[in-house]
Amino acid sequence: MKASYRWLKELLPALNASAAEVAARFTHAGLEVEGTTEYGAGTESCLVVRVTGVRQHPTKSGLRLVTVDRGGGQTQEVVCGAPNVPDPGGLVVLAPLGTHLPAKNLTIAPRNIGGVTSEGMLCSESELGLSDDHGGIIVLPMGTAEPGTPLSQAVPNVRDTIFEIGLTPNRPDGLGHVGLARELAALLDIPFALPATGEIAKTADIETKSLCSIIVEDAERCPHYGAAGAVDVTIGPSPLWLKYRLQALGVRSISNVVDITNIVMLEYGHPMHAFDLDLLRPANAPRILVRRAKEGETIVTLDGVTRTLVADDLLICDGEGPVALAGVMGGESSEIRSTTKRVLFECAWFDPRGVRRTARRHAMHTESSHRFERGVDPGDVARVLDRAVALTTTLAGGAATRGRVHVQGTRVAAEPEPPARKKVRFRGRRVHDLTGVDVPFAESAAILKRLGCEIVTPDASKDEHEVLVPTHRPDIGREADLVEEVIRVHGMDSVPAELPRIRASRDVGGREELARRAKEICASVGLSEAITFSFTSGRVLEVLGAPPPAVRLENPMAEHQSVLRTTLLVGLLDAVKNARRHGERDVREYTVGPVFLAPKDPNDPLPDERLRVAFAIAGDRPAWLEKPKPFDVWDAKGYATEIARRISGRPVEVVQASRQEAPPHLHPRGAAFVHVGGERVGAFGPLHPDVVDALELDGEVLVFEMELDPFVGGAATPKFTPIPRFPASTRDIALVVKDSVRAGDVEAAVREAAGPLAEAVRLFDRFVGGQVPPGHTSLAFRVVYRSPERTLTDAEVDAAHANVVAVAQSKFGATLRA
Amino acid sequence: MAQNEALSDAAVSIDRALTKLREGFMERFRAAGTEQALREEYAKVLGKKGELTAILKELGKTPASERKAIGERVNALKQEVERGFEQCLSDLRKKERLAELEAPPFDLTLPGRLPVSDGGHRHPISRVREDVVSVFRQLGFAVFDGPEVDHEENNFGLLGYPPDHPATDMQDTFWTDKKVLLRSHTSNIQIRAMKSVKPPMAFIAPGTVYRRDDDATHSPMFHQIEAFLVDRNVTLAHLKGVLAEFAERIYGPGTPVRLRPSYFPFVEPGAEVDVGCVFCKKPDGTRPGCSLCKHTGWIEILGCGMIHPVVLENCGIDPEEWSGFALGMGLERIALLRYGIPNIKLLFENDPRFLAQF
Ligand SMILES: [Zn+2]
Repeated sequence: MKASYRWLKELLPALNASAAEVAARFTHAGLEVEGTTEYGAGTESCLVVRVTGVRQHPTKSGLRLVTVDRGGGQTQEVVCGAPNVPDPGGLVVLAPLGTHLPAKNLTIAPRNIGGVTSEGMLCSESELGLSDDHGGIIVLPMGTAEPGTPLSQAVPNVRDTIFEIGLTPNRPDGLGHVGLARELAALLDIPFALPATGEIAKTADIETKSLCSIIVEDAERCPHYGAAGAVDVTIGPSPLWLKYRLQALGVRSISNVVDITNIVMLEYGHPMHAFDLDLLRPANAPRILVRRAKEGETIVTLDGVTRTLVADDLLICDGEGPVALAGVMGGESSEIRSTTKRVLFECAWFDPRGVRRTARRHAMHTESSHRFERGVDPGDVARVLDRAVALTTTLAGGAATRGRVHVQGTRVAAEPEPPARKKVRFRGRRVHDLTGVDVPFAESAAILKRLGCEIVTPDASKDEHEVLVPTHRPDIGREADLVEEVIRVHGMDSVPAELPRIRASRDVGGREELARRAKEICASVGLSEAITFSFTSGRVLEVLGAPPPAVRLENPMAEHQSVLRTTLLVGLLDAVKNARRHGERDVREYTVGPVFLAPKDPNDPLPDERLRVAFAIAGDRPAWLEKPKPFDVWDAKGYATEIARRISGRPVEVVQASRQEAPPHLHPRGAAFVHVGGERVGAFGPLHPDVVDALELDGEVLVFEMELDPFVGGAATPKFTPIPRFPASTRDIALVVKDSVRAGDVEAAVREAAGPLAEAVRLFDRFVGGQVPPGHTSLAFRVVYRSPERTLTDAEVDAAHANVVAVAQSKFGATLRA
Repeated sequence: MAQNEALSDAAVSIDRALTKLREGFMERFRAAGTEQALREEYAKVLGKKGELTAILKELGKTPASERKAIGERVNALKQEVERGFEQCLSDLRKKERLAELEAPPFDLTLPGRLPVSDGGHRHPISRVREDVVSVFRQLGFAVFDGPEVDHEENNFGLLGYPPDHPATDMQDTFWTDKKVLLRSHTSNIQIRAMKSVKPPMAFIAPGTVYRRDDDATHSPMFHQIEAFLVDRNVTLAHLKGVLAEFAERIYGPGTPVRLRPSYFPFVEPGAEVDVGCVFCKKPDGTRPGCSLCKHTGWIEILGCGMIHPVVLENCGIDPEEWSGFALGMGLERIALLRYGIPNIKLLFENDPRFLAQF
């Protein structure tokens, strides 16, 4: 909302705060002034001058030398290229030497133009920052002011300070200057009175109600329809004060009657509409009908767009069809034109929700809908109409018709039934109860009164009051709202800071701590945290063979963000792809977050949100002083098992997936499941090459994804086992086996064969080539023998170890490597 | 090619050579066992020093009248060779892919490897999140979990958002179906907590939220932390006390806090909170203003207020007996300011060079 400081001063004669002070006060009361601009800066130095002579420039065609009377007998000649220099006698605007014009960032200095020195400039509106109009210089109406008068004195509204106020949607009263003035008066504790609606210059001997019959079919959506009229009007330009006030507030001046509807809206915050009565049908007995649209009915709105309506849209119709989309925009058929003689003004109160639905449906956000959907004052309909009619009789030369017409449900009358005011209980102590600030009731009451409330105290001995809320404040409906008004005006700076004595709560759910733990563990093993979007596309999920989306967005911003993920890998793989696009081959990232799966109970409208951790590693493995080598599946196993072990606090088992059960996104050669306590909790492996191709990942990527919810209770508590008291004996054994023999199977056999004295068996070397025959691998194990009761003899250990060799030979055909 | 006219000898010779090439190339392509071999074979046919080029050298010997027809034939053959090459290449790759997929499985019974590396990095949003959570935990707040996809009533209705009211414009929401949405703020947790736990309660709700905004300062997915306290005699002064403590611990000792009245449907009174700008703070504690605080010396960090009595009632809590406050802040904004990150997009691209900085 743009607000004029000059106008506020006119409405508040007692206002002596500067524009900056006003802005600060508004901001501190919740009407945030987001910016302040100076309108017509530079106009103070400009003068109204009279043209006394015009001649051609001696050398430059298209330029003229204009002699102007600056008043006090001074004249001066300036060069001017504008096409519209008036004949002698005409009034124009001179920027004398030294004038600074911020709109063009220009300071007037003597200029030699084709041999003629010009010491000043005749200005256009755009040069003064008054509008975008640079088609010609300003030509003022005759008699505007004597030559030599400063422009800002001759036409005061060319100079103003404009506030840009970011109004919250609960304050429709702030969408008009009267409301802002009332608010400011309350904040500064200065007197406020509603402005006079103005004298009606002339009244015609015609009853408004005879001009047009008004029928409101849908009184729920239009509880109040008010109308007034004016005849014999002459459409023409607006006077300068009106023109520049509107332009200062960002509204283009169109014609006197249209401008009147706009300035009244900016004054009261209540939109209104003007119809050309002679264009309302039928011509002999015009009618206004307020009704719902028929499904598929159309209207051409003022912006020239044909709108197809639905039954929820409210229409203003004449005898033959729609003439306005109620509360949103007028129609073309009955708009005010240059030939208009008779005007019907409409000021109504439309149901805010209905206006909002219509405005949203047709994607029309207008000054009118903006106000109606926030709730305009239902109590000012008569005042707004009177103001418009009075201005019309003074500015458009017409005569008012007699009386207004107010249709409120079945009641039709010349005076409206005042709308009911809400009654709200108020206890003075509640201000302290809710804010901790002691505001005496008398001060609270004074604040509320300044805001327009009326206070009734039935029993002076009790702190129980009844507050009648003014109709311009639809946002106030409860005691807490009144408390807010009091503290808002009293000042939030007065609220002390006190730490409450908090009675501690206990976590509910536990996922925040679980996620934090998982993130820390992943970071500690050397992975970096990615925060990935929950959005993805159905196609990507399909490529990954993930469950189909359980949540589809009705209004996604883009197709690739149209469903919620059912696997965390989507975002990580995006990160890999982006990194590689930027030439970064090495990616080691994890992410923790929910996936959105189909609900367990199909009737549950909410998805099953499951917390997971996932990582993607690609490129070279970090290593110490070594030629970089690419990550392989055993790196994925290392990271995956370490993460799972630390999150669960329990042993982790890796189960290689058979070709049939391998998850579709993984390479069948290296897909594996991670089990904790016998339960499958995750899977890792190289990404399937078809997935790499389909997602354009440009090379191998290894991934892991795991459920976190099973570990929400925390990691298992470690249990102490006694530290061995007797020394261990170790024996190493290198077995050459066929390539197809799995190391783990050999290890298990070794462990079994070594018997109860074997405390640990560890594969410590794997060797291919050299003297190892082709198709074979050498596996070296270290077996640790120990007894909890005594020191073992070499003989005992050798005996146990001999069995290892025997079993390995018989079971796997293994040979000892020399 | 029309053969009804007698051709020059040179043309006949070219024609023969082309026919021979045409009949033979596919077999040679198919015989190539590797991509490398195939490419070599292809170069022998169509390369700069290839057979076709050699044939074309003879073109100068033919009469001009015949060259157009020969040219057309050469082009057709070229295309045929290219198609054949693509076909063989694709077959070869399929074969290789199949062989790769059917190769013996990796021995995953071999031990896993945990590479040595300098530690990984935490995401700046997570760092901020954990710092903020930790401050509130120390003050006695606990975390209340809740879903990111929720019922409209938890996100709007029970929070006092009137239907069809412009207040909902403040949050352009993603909808699924059946009155279900992606939560537009973490305030849905207020409702879920107050409906399920009896006061007193002191909870925070950190989490992911969604709005239909996408520009240099907005991401359609972002993060908030909500904190709310419901007890007897909770006042705005308590809210300010918690905020002052929060500012002191997150933004440094002596950071001033101020409340500005504002509007959020679920609080009354409602306020926006500014903290003294940390960027233009001088050692003497003054703040002359800078571009980050728009030369005001203050930075807006969050919205808050006293929980609206309607919201308490909606959750079965008597506002005459209990009162509470709620505050909610965006984590991205804190992270961008704290780490000097110029664009919110960087937070979600997960570029390794970005993450490595934190
Ligand atoms: Zn600053």
